[in-house]
Amino acid sequence: METLGFLMDGFAVALTPYNLMFALFGAFVGTLIGCLPGLGPANGVAILIPLAFTLGLPPETAMILLTSVYAGAMYGGRISSILLNIPGDEPAMMTCLDGYPMAQKGRAADALAISAIASFAGGLIGTIGLIMLAPVLARFALSFGPAEYFALFLLAFATLGGITGKNPMKTVIAATLGIMISTVGIDISTGTQRYTFGVLELYEGIDFILAIVGLFAISELLFFVESRMGGGRKKMNVGKLTLTFKELVSTVPTQLRGGVLGFISGVLPGAGASLGSFISYTLEKSVIGKKGRFGEGDIRGVVAPEAGNNGASSGALVPMLTLGVPGSGTTAVLLAMLISLNITPGPLMFTQNADIVWGVIAALLIGNVLLLVLNIPLVGFFVRLLSVPPMYLLPIVTMVAFVGIYSISNSAFDLYFMVAFGVAGYFLRKLEIPVVPIILGLLLGPEMEKNLGHALVLSDGDWSILWESTLAKSFWLVAALSLVLPYVVGPVLRRRMNAAMKESPTSD
Amino acid sequence: MTGLGDRLLGLGLLVLAVAYGWVAQQWPEPFGGAETVGPETFPTILAVVLVAGSIYLMVKPDPDAQWPLGRSALELVVSLVVLVVYAMLLEPLGFVISTTLAVGTLSWRMGAPARNAFLTGLISAVVVFVLFNYGLALSLPAGILEVN
Repeated sequence: METLGFLMDGFAVALTPYNLMFALFGAFVGTLIGCLPGLGPANGVAILIPLAFTLGLPPETAMILLTSVYAGAMYGGRISSILLNIPGDEPAMMTCLDGYPMAQKGRAADALAISAIASFAGGLIGTIGLIMLAPVLARFALSFGPAEYFALFLLAFATLGGITGKNPMKTVIAATLGIMISTVGIDISTGTQRYTFGVLELYEGIDFILAIVGLFAISELLFFVESRMGGGRKKMNVGKLTLTFKELVSTVPTQLRGGVLGFISGVLPGAGASLGSFISYTLEKSVIGKKGRFGEGDIRGVVAPEAGNNGASSGALVPMLTLGVPGSGTTAVLLAMLISLNITPGPLMFTQNADIVWGVIAALLIGNVLLLVLNIPLVGFFVRLLSVPPMYLLPIVTMVAFVGIYSISNSAFDLYFMVAFGVAGYFLRKLEIPVVPIILGLLLGPEMEKNLGHALVLSDGDWSILWESTLAKSFWLVAALSLVLPYVVGPVLRRRMNAAMKESPTSD
Repeated sequence: MTGLGDRLLGLGLLVLAVAYGWVAQQWPEPFGGAETVGPETFPTILAVVLVAGSIYLMVKPDPDAQWPLGRSALELVVSLVVLVVYAMLLEPLGFVISTTLAVGTLSWRMGAPARNAFLTGLISAVVVFVLFNYGLALSLPAGILEVN
């Protein structure tokens, strides 16, 4: 019952009016970020980091703010899926399948309400899972030595592409590029200047916050400029709420199944929220069988993926908090926040920074309640915002990114750097080199090098220490498998996901 | 030729990897003698991985992406210039003026009517300036609008 005590302490942190205010603000902004076009969750959280930083928020408040944004973005993604058949973010893709047909039948309000409830259930189940699993995993991770950590980092990179990823080699290249950028600056252990070329600004290395904002926000702007999708979308009508209590109760088993499955796929490396919602949807379809009318606006077809992706988003926090190894873009950005707050993520965080960890977990629970309360009455407001054309929105978002980066250091040099990262991000994304591994490389690079050094000092220069223990061996094995598997099962899985998208007669 | 983009990228990365690895070998031995893991060890490993990756890209490239041509490319260049000029003028011109110009030009080029675009720029600039300087007590450059 130790955990319960910690959780109570966490609530004490999260329920102070100051933190509660930021959680509410975060939940609201997060929903906005999730539903607005061109602002994915990782992107949105990235832009808020410099702001949280310059506001001088205490660490627990900063983390509570960003986790609420993260949870909120997962809620927001469904709104445009249901109303416009355009997923607001990738995990919301499966919600289109039954959400949009429901909206076409005039039941948009019901679909939005039930999906908010399903998101709440998924998030709740995921957070409960997090509370139970995280301390156990953290305790287990205490036994890791530097060699195990080195192998674990490799595993994180290898699985980042996910088993549905297209070209694992490109993930490897991206991760290597990120780690390479992280080696710029003065070497911590020897003091050697590496790749600084005598430029004073490079001595301290390249700030990953500006790299993240550049790679996400600026490249997103360039993509919009290129596709010239600046025009808005037509106004949506939500209609009246006709959801009955009986209908709500009938979806409870679906919510439970979806939440649990989502949580599991969130925890597992390489699966993530998209796969979470996909699995919950397909399982639901096979459980209900012919009795359901999936693809034609079955209410359970909305509930399952939403519960799944919110369960997964809480699940994805487990490896990030306990091992310091994020499994997705958004959790990588959260990790960036932790590192810039000078908190070393990993198992020790549970003892050294217990107030932050448990404050964040409690904030997730509170955030979920806030989101449910926010989402049902305010849905009309969010829908109205959906019709703000990106041509006004994106320049302002870019400006906020500029302001954030500028206010960290008050130097124009950083702004040029950010724009350069944006251009690089644009070209890399065009060439289908994913940017998330670059960011993860930037974040984990120094840790990786440190652990490599420690391991080799322990073994007196014997490289075989890196794969000597059983645990390290199994990490290497899984890492290798996840680089090979996409070639074998990737095409099959991708085809199925696409087929599922096409099966629904109304999607276009 | 198909996969030209990936091949070019592979070539560029190969050059980068070799240069990166070569630079790493030039560093002087750290004070206190060489250890198993010096400052060059990790970069050398990275260079080798990247060489392998870039060769793979050149041998097995993915199909090419659609690259913007003509007007789209021009618009991209214009947006980039706006961003760089914005960064350049932020301090000398001050936040409000440079932001109005930057946000206005960007949203105008993205398709908004010019008047609406610059109005959006002005309003968002003033709101953010007031919010930051008075609400959050973080100073953004006032530039030529400074009164004192």
